[in-house]
Amino acid sequence: MKKALFMGCWFLALASPAHAMHISEGILPFGWALLWFAVAMPFLAVGLRRLNELSRDDLSMKPLVGLMAAVVFIISCMPIPVPSAGTCSHPCGTGISAILVGPFVSVVIAAVALLIQALLLAHGGLSTLGADIVSMGVVGSFAGWFIFRGMRRVGASLAVAGFLAGLAADWATYLATSGVLAAGVRGSEPFIPLFLKIAVAFIPTQLPLGVLEGAMTAGMVVLLSRKRPDLLVKMRVLRPEEVAA
Amino acid sequence: MHRLSHPTLIAHPVTLLDPRVKLLSALALLVMVVSCTGVAFPLLAAALGLALCLWLGVPARLILVRFAEPLFIAAVVLLLKTFFSGTDPLFTLHPFGLEIVAHRDGLAEGGAIAARIAGAVAVVAAVGFATPFTDLMAALSWLRVPQGLIDVALFAWRYLFVLFDDAQVVYAAQRNRLGYAGFRRGLRSFGMLAGALVIKAFDTSQTITTAMVQRGYDGNLPLLKHRPFRTGEVAASVLFVAAMGMLRWL
Repeated sequence: MKKALFMGCWFLALASPAHAMHISEGILPFGWALLWFAVAMPFLAVGLRRLNELSRDDLSMKPLVGLMAAVVFIISCMPIPVPSAGTCSHPCGTGISAILVGPFVSVVIAAVALLIQALLLAHGGLSTLGADIVSMGVVGSFAGWFIFRGMRRVGASLAVAGFLAGLAADWATYLATSGVLAAGVRGSEPFIPLFLKIAVAFIPTQLPLGVLEGAMTAGMVVLLSRKRPDLLVKMRVLRPEEVAA
Repeated sequence: MHRLSHPTLIAHPVTLLDPRVKLLSALALLVMVVSCTGVAFPLLAAALGLALCLWLGVPARLILVRFAEPLFIAAVVLLLKTFFSGTDPLFTLHPFGLEIVAHRDGLAEGGAIAARIAGAVAVVAAVGFATPFTDLMAALSWLRVPQGLIDVALFAWRYLFVLFDDAQVVYAAQRNRLGYAGFRRGLRSFGMLAGALVIKAFDTSQTITTAMVQRGYDGNLPLLKHRPFRTGEVAASVLFVAAMGMLRWL
């Protein structure tokens, strides 16, 4: 009983950083912060190149991506109650952006949302921007995109594929965040046990939140397919014949 | 969202400084703080950042809100490192009959991380409060941050508040219709709200592109032109950074 109580307190205490969603400013040592910038840069560069190519054909792409960044910003500022942890957390939003604009441009969207949050809300940070881009932008976007495309390829409906994509984007983000945090703050401790501790500690918030994000992503995709299927065709989520059918 | 829209004090001497000078100084200070393994220098940076925020006239409540989350994380990291990391015992607690040992080396590690968080957050908060967002973007552009990223950030910033207002209207309407009564309904309502925002974003992007093309938009946004560097500002900044550097490596 005592042990269970102790473990419960431990998990709740460790889960607290999850409120922040992003890796906090200053938490990573300089070397790790620099390394994550180096990892994020190629993805961001490809994303920007892809965006420039798209906007050469369609001038509305940059405004659209900017507005999507604003949507991701707002979504990730919306607190959702997580009863199991007795607290609030919030979704990432990168699942839906990856579905709509592709994973590389979604990295750009995440980078912009994270930059604004770091500068003006102290969510995440400038020194941890690289790490946050990797965990939320790169890992979250690619996980969401691969799952969505894979599920659609095997014939899953938009709702199911959207749900799993949102779920995967959220959980993958938090696994990556756990890894980044464990590597950065471990000091003299071994990596694997600390990574497992942090990953397990995220469970009270992230397990239900991932489900919430999955449901939200499914709701968004279904709403778009009902109200504005032309947008899904434009973003190559649906083929024109699917809309006609 | 009101936390974002704090009006930067136009007439304040720090606000009037060249944004490039402020940004470069802040980045230099940030590197010093993040690369520091001690506690004193990051705490000094935290005190300076906090003092600058107060001097700028930022309301104390806004400062508290801005600092609350990272400082909470700093406190949690400090506690966890003290009690669950390290080998050199410092003292022992007995909550609920359990034995929890605090470690001297864990406390030192946790203290260093907590101080780094406080220092880095204070530096970025100070530059954020002292510089309008568009000036920051112009300074980042001068630092050769890719134009595409700056353009997307400026579009996001411009329409953030418009979309947020729309979200609030939809949310209020949903609440009034008991859209958040119950978990499943709340989930469905939230999905619809997010979907409505995406539709709004698509439509707005088409409208503003049409309006901008009619005004000569060719895919790149014009940015603020920087005035030439002022010798006094640059000299003061170099002196400040050099002094902080000396303190950092003392």
